[in-house]
Amino acid sequence: MAGVREALDRRRGRPGGRLAGAVRWVGAGLFVAVVLALVWSLLAGAEPAFARDGLRFLWGGSLDRTGTAYGAGPFVVGTLLTTAVALLLAVPVGIGTAAMLSELAPRWLAGPLSILVDLIAAVPSIVVGLFGLLVLSPLFGRDVGPFLKELPLLGRLFGGTLEGGSSVLLAGVILAVMILPTMVALTRTAFAGVARADREAALALGATRWQVVRGAVIPGARSGIRAAFTLSVGRAVGEAIAVALVIGNRPAVPHSLLAPGATLGSYVVTQFSEAAQGLPRARIVGLVVVLLVLTALVNGAGALLLRKRTTAGGTP
Amino acid sequence: MRSRRLIVPALLALTLAAGACGSSSSSSATSTTAATTTAPPVTTVSGPGGLLDPTADVQSATVTANGAGANSIQPFFQKAFYVYNQANPKLTVQYAPTGSSVGITDIEQGTVDFGDSEIPMAAADLAKATKGAILQVPVDLGGVALSYNLGSSGPKSLNLDGPTLAGILLGTVTTWNDPAIAALNSGVTLPSEPIVAVHRADSSGPGYDLDQYLIDTAPTWAAKVGTKASKTWPEATVGVGEQLNTGVATTISQTAGAIGFVEYGYAKQAGFTNASLKNAAGTFVAPSEASIASAGSQATGLSATSFNIVNGAGAQTYPLANFSWTLLYQEQSNQDLGIALGKLFDWVTTTGQGQAAALGYAPLPANAVTLAHQTLEELQTSTGQPLFSH
Repeated sequence: MAGVREALDRRRGRPGGRLAGAVRWVGAGLFVAVVLALVWSLLAGAEPAFARDGLRFLWGGSLDRTGTAYGAGPFVVGTLLTTAVALLLAVPVGIGTAAMLSELAPRWLAGPLSILVDLIAAVPSIVVGLFGLLVLSPLFGRDVGPFLKELPLLGRLFGGTLEGGSSVLLAGVILAVMILPTMVALTRTAFAGVARADREAALALGATRWQVVRGAVIPGARSGIRAAFTLSVGRAVGEAIAVALVIGNRPAVPHSLLAPGATLGSYVVTQFSEAAQGLPRARIVGLVVVLLVLTALVNGAGALLLRKRTTAGGTP
Repeated sequence: MRSRRLIVPALLALTLAAGACGSSSSSSATSTTAATTTAPPVTTVSGPGGLLDPTADVQSATVTANGAGANSIQPFFQKAFYVYNQANPKLTVQYAPTGSSVGITDIEQGTVDFGDSEIPMAAADLAKATKGAILQVPVDLGGVALSYNLGSSGPKSLNLDGPTLAGILLGTVTTWNDPAIAALNSGVTLPSEPIVAVHRADSSGPGYDLDQYLIDTAPTWAAKVGTKASKTWPEATVGVGEQLNTGVATTISQTAGAIGFVEYGYAKQAGFTNASLKNAAGTFVAPSEASIASAGSQATGLSATSFNIVNGAGAQTYPLANFSWTLLYQEQSNQDLGIALGKLFDWVTTTGQGQAAALGYAPLPANAVTLAHQTLEELQTSTGQPLFSH
């Protein structure tokens, strides 16, 4: 109704219509301006760091005592590793859980479980971080770490001496716990939006329940899954406080998944407030710039990957 | 930024305190008596509050003072400010224990009424102050414990010297039964489990003390990291880094085989077992109120530029200790607040020291109290008049 009236207003050139249009343009313009201002101020703040180290800043080692060598290298590696661990754990489990909730589980079970998932999605990251530090960390140091080291082949990923529970792996697990509810909630909503006719068509062709999910529901919900993936990646790449609690904060490239490390976010959050004006502060802001670029890259790569996968699997 | 940073340590402190409740309840009775017997040397010189005249220069309005800085002094400040507020409700103090470096930056920018740093500000830092000269007042004397977690069946005492500790922190001594540790601990059964070294991820006063001690005593350490001590932990690529004393303490209590440095007050609160360190006289001394006091008594020429008491002389001296320094602008634009702050820290450095021992700090020695008093008397109004009549 409202849309019709607005269209009429606009055609008649009444001031209300023009005002609404102007508000929309101003809103959109403001949004773009805020994003540009953010990017510009970050670049301006990081300028001294890039001016001094150039592109070496992107992959160099971390700060040494005399301040001669500095780079985002170890933190980029840490961020990519923790995000990869989190996605490897959360994406399959998330899509599977969503499929279970929306397609396979009986209604009396799916309803309460869905509410529970939505509730978990609202848990603040600091709570998840403390859970990791106080509950999972001792468990990883005592049981999980030694067990993983003994695994054939895979054990190589977990080499080196075990240094307690704080590790890149634990940080990845914490991130998985954090993004899983987002994955499930958004994917489930996307599944629910798939047209009933698509499902019925697949059933009519003699598909089993699981084949319906794989052949009709997942391809139909592609854009929703991509949105879930994007949000999850954003959270995993950028999460700072919870990661800082469990990763062991070591500014070096981890030699194993069980070694301590640092991500861009965790290093910024532990160092920003005491970084002195000038070059130290510029370097921290430089890390934020790298984080921003990395988030965009990981998101783009993920979206590309997902599009190929789902179209390939989805073509009947 | 600050409020977000504070959430973590605050929650950690809660969990630590909860964890320590069971073990420390038996020792609390003894520590209370210790507090009364080791009362500070100067209590009632010219008034119940401290050295300044309590009847003159009274603040007229109710004020709130905001401070930020050292994390190590937090248990003492928290108790002292609370006790002071009970008797003087016209002053409320809010202190954010975000770390010494943050305290220095905040006072430089003038975003707080006072700062606190475990290591006094250097000339380069003082030059960055935006509101004039900064006064540095010694307010407490604390030590740094090397706490370890070898479980309830592990050794109750452990001797370490500089070179061995350097080996642990440089990653060359990696298991608890390493010959270097065994050589210092004959008759002690050492487990074969790996050592997890825990250090501060942020810059810290305790880190500075330990860095200085290792520079003084361990050639391998000095060769690796240089001979100028810094608050930033120099070998961050070995072991695990954690935020603030609370973060280090939590990781030690959570991790079998861990050893790390924390302010003694935190180690005492958490009920940790602490290593005995070899001091300059060649004896192994554990951290305690008495051995930290002995370190403080070596500081004969104490000033903000001559503050180092690490690895001091004396057979009973614990080698890792430092004074904590409160940072105040000499010119106080708000006269009520200036008077309130002057009287507060006058009390903190005299009568308030009675709160120190129970919390794992040593009372300030007499020369530090005198230095504090003389420095506080330099406080001025915005027109350059002395804030306190002498």
